[in-house]
Amino acid sequence: MIFLLRRLAFYLAALLVAITLNFFIPRLMPGDPSARIIASFQGRLNESQVQAIRQSYGLTGSLWEQYLTYLGSVARLDFGISTVQFPEPTASLLFYGAGWTLVLVGIAIFFAFIIGSLMGIHAAWHRGSFFDSVFTPINVILNAFTPAIVALLLFYAFSLELKWFPLGRAHDPNLMPGWYPEFILSVLYHATLPVLSIFLVSFGGWHLGMRNVMINLLNEDFVVLARAKGLSDQRVRYRYVARNAILPQITALALSIGFLLGGALVTEQVFNYPGLGKFTFTAIQSRDYSFIQGQLLLLTMSVLVANLVSDIANVILDPRLRR
Amino acid sequence: MSELTQSSPLALGAQPDTGAALAPTQLELMRELGVKPRPGWTSRLSPGLAAFVTNGKGMAGVVILLILVLTSLCAPLLTDFDPKRRAGKPHVEPGYEHVLGTTRMGKDVFTQLVYGGRVSLAVGFGAGIAAAMIGLAIGISAGYFGGRVDDILSFFVNVVLVLPGLPLIIVIATMVEEASPLVIGLVLALTGWGWAARTIRTQTLSLRTREFVLSAELMGEKKWRIILVEIFPNMLSFVMGGFVLGTIAAILAEAALEFIGLGDPNAVTWGTMLFWAQNNLALQSGAWWEIWPPCIAIMLTGAALVLVNFAVDEITNPQLRASRRIGGIRRFLNRRGRSADVF
Repeated sequence: MIFLLRRLAFYLAALLVAITLNFFIPRLMPGDPSARIIASFQGRLNESQVQAIRQSYGLTGSLWEQYLTYLGSVARLDFGISTVQFPEPTASLLFYGAGWTLVLVGIAIFFAFIIGSLMGIHAAWHRGSFFDSVFTPINVILNAFTPAIVALLLFYAFSLELKWFPLGRAHDPNLMPGWYPEFILSVLYHATLPVLSIFLVSFGGWHLGMRNVMINLLNEDFVVLARAKGLSDQRVRYRYVARNAILPQITALALSIGFLLGGALVTEQVFNYPGLGKFTFTAIQSRDYSFIQGQLLLLTMSVLVANLVSDIANVILDPRLRR
Repeated sequence: MSELTQSSPLALGAQPDTGAALAPTQLELMRELGVKPRPGWTSRLSPGLAAFVTNGKGMAGVVILLILVLTSLCAPLLTDFDPKRRAGKPHVEPGYEHVLGTTRMGKDVFTQLVYGGRVSLAVGFGAGIAAAMIGLAIGISAGYFGGRVDDILSFFVNVVLVLPGLPLIIVIATMVEEASPLVIGLVLALTGWGWAARTIRTQTLSLRTREFVLSAELMGEKKWRIILVEIFPNMLSFVMGGFVLGTIAAILAEAALEFIGLGDPNAVTWGTMLFWAQNNLALQSGAWWEIWPPCIAIMLTGAALVLVNFAVDEITNPQLRASRRIGGIRRFLNRRGRSADVF
C-alpha cells in the first residue's frame, strides 16, 4: 500500500511537471496565442473586448495568478479554447479523436504484447536455435523502422495498389455509429491496416525484452530446483520463468504507451484516420496552440494512468511488493 | 577398457570396436562446434573492443553505417546537381540522367538523398551523443553521490521517462515555428537521455561498493577523479548502449517530426523528403522513386544501429553472448546421443 501511495505521489508530481512545462513553453516564445485572434479582427476591437479575449485564454493577471488559473482549468479537464475556431472549446474534439486513437492503440498493444512475449518465451527457451537466431534480429529490426515508413508501405500496397482496404475514415460514412454488428465490423475493417502498422513496429520490442529477461532468469536457483523436482517443461517455462519475466515487461508496457501514442499520431496521418494524430496534424498546420497543448496533457495523463495500473498489476502479481 | 570409453562423454561417437578411444582432437571439436580460432590481431585490443570486433552482427551494423556516412560525406563527388535547385523535368523516372529520378519540383532524388543524409545522420548522431553524455553525467552523479542528490536526480530521470516524448516535442517544435534540424536535434537530446541515465545509475550503484573504488577513496582521491578514472571506464559499454539507442530514437523522431510538417520545409533531410513526397501525393501519382529512397535510407540506418545494439547488449550482458553458442552445443550433444538439457 505504501508502495502504491509513493507511486501515486510521484505521478502527481510528474503531472505537475508536464502542466508547468505546458504553461511556460508558450510564454517563453515571442507573441501569444491570443495575438492571432486579436489581429484577425484587424483593429475593430476596443480595449475591453481585447481584454476579454485575453482573459478567456488565461493571459491576464500576474504570472502566478495565470498559473493557478491554468492548474484549476486542467483539474476540471478543461483544455481551453481553440485558437483557430475561436470560441469553440478544445476538449470535445480532443476526446472524440482520443476515442478512435484508443481503438487503434488498444488493439495493437494487445496483440503486440501477447504475440511478442510468446515469441520471446519461445526464443529464450530454444535460444541459439534457428527461430532465435533468425526471428530475434528480424523482429527487432522491424521495431527500428519508423511507424511512418511501415504505414506508408502498407498504405501503398494494400490501399492504393491492391485496393483491399479503404483510403481513410474510421467507419463507413453511410452507417450511423452504434453498437450493432455491421458498424463494429466496419470499424474493425477500417482499423485493420493502421493497427497492423502499429503492431509491426512494436511487437519486436516485447520479443527482445521477454527473451533477454528470460535468459537471465534461466540460471536462477528456483528454475534449477523446479527442473530438479521433475516438473514438466511446460510448467517450468510458463509458471516459473515466464511468470517472473513478465513483471518488468508490464512496467515497460506502461512506459511504452507514450511512445506508441506518438507513433499513432504519424500512422493516423498516413491512413487519414480521424484520431488524435489526424487532428493534431491539422492543428499543427493551422497553428492551433490550445489543441497541441491539450494533446500533450491528455497523452501525459493517459500514460500516468497506465503506469498506475501497471503498478497495481505488479503488486497483484508480485507478492514481494505487498509488504 | 570399452566400459571406460563408453562412459567418457567425448568418445561416445567413436566406433566402439576400434578398441583404442579415439577422442577427437581440439581442432576437430572446434570445427564441429562451429568455434573459430580467435585471430591473433584481436589479442592486442582491449577485451571489450575485441568482443565487439569479433561480433558478426555488430560489425555488419558498423559496415552499413560507415557506407551511409561515407556516401553522405562524399555527396559533392557523387553528384553534380544542387539538392535545393531544379535539375530537370518534374517526375522523371529513374534512368541514366537521374539515377533515382526527380521529384515533382524537378529536383534530383539521388542528390537530395546523399545531401539529406548529411543532415539526418548529423542530427541523429549529435542528439545520440548528447543524450548519452547527459545520461552519463546524471546517472553517475545520482549513483555515486547517493542520498539527497540521488533522490532529486532520480525524480527527474523518472519524469523524463514517463512523459510522452513525441507529443512533448510536437509542442516545443510548434512553438518554435519551422524548427531547423539543429533545434530538432537539441530538443531530442534534451528529452532522450532517460534510459541511459537509469542504466548508468544502476551500474554505478553496484560499482561504488567494489574494492577498487573503496581503495581509491581510502587513498584520499578526489571525488571527480574517482568518477572519471575509476568508474567511467567501466561505463563505456553502457554509454555506447545509450548512444546507440538515443541515435535510433533521434533519427526516427526527426523523420516523424519532419514528416508531419513540423520541420523547416526548406531544409533537405530524409524527413523533409518524405514530407514533400507525401504532400505532393507521390504515391498516388505513381512516383514511387520519390518516396522509397528516403524510406530505405532511414530503414537501413535503423537496422544497422539495431545490429550494433545487439553486439553492445551481448557485451554488457554476457549471458546473452553465451546463449548465442548454445544452439551449436545442443546440436553437438544431440549428435553424440547425449541429453540436450543444457542450461
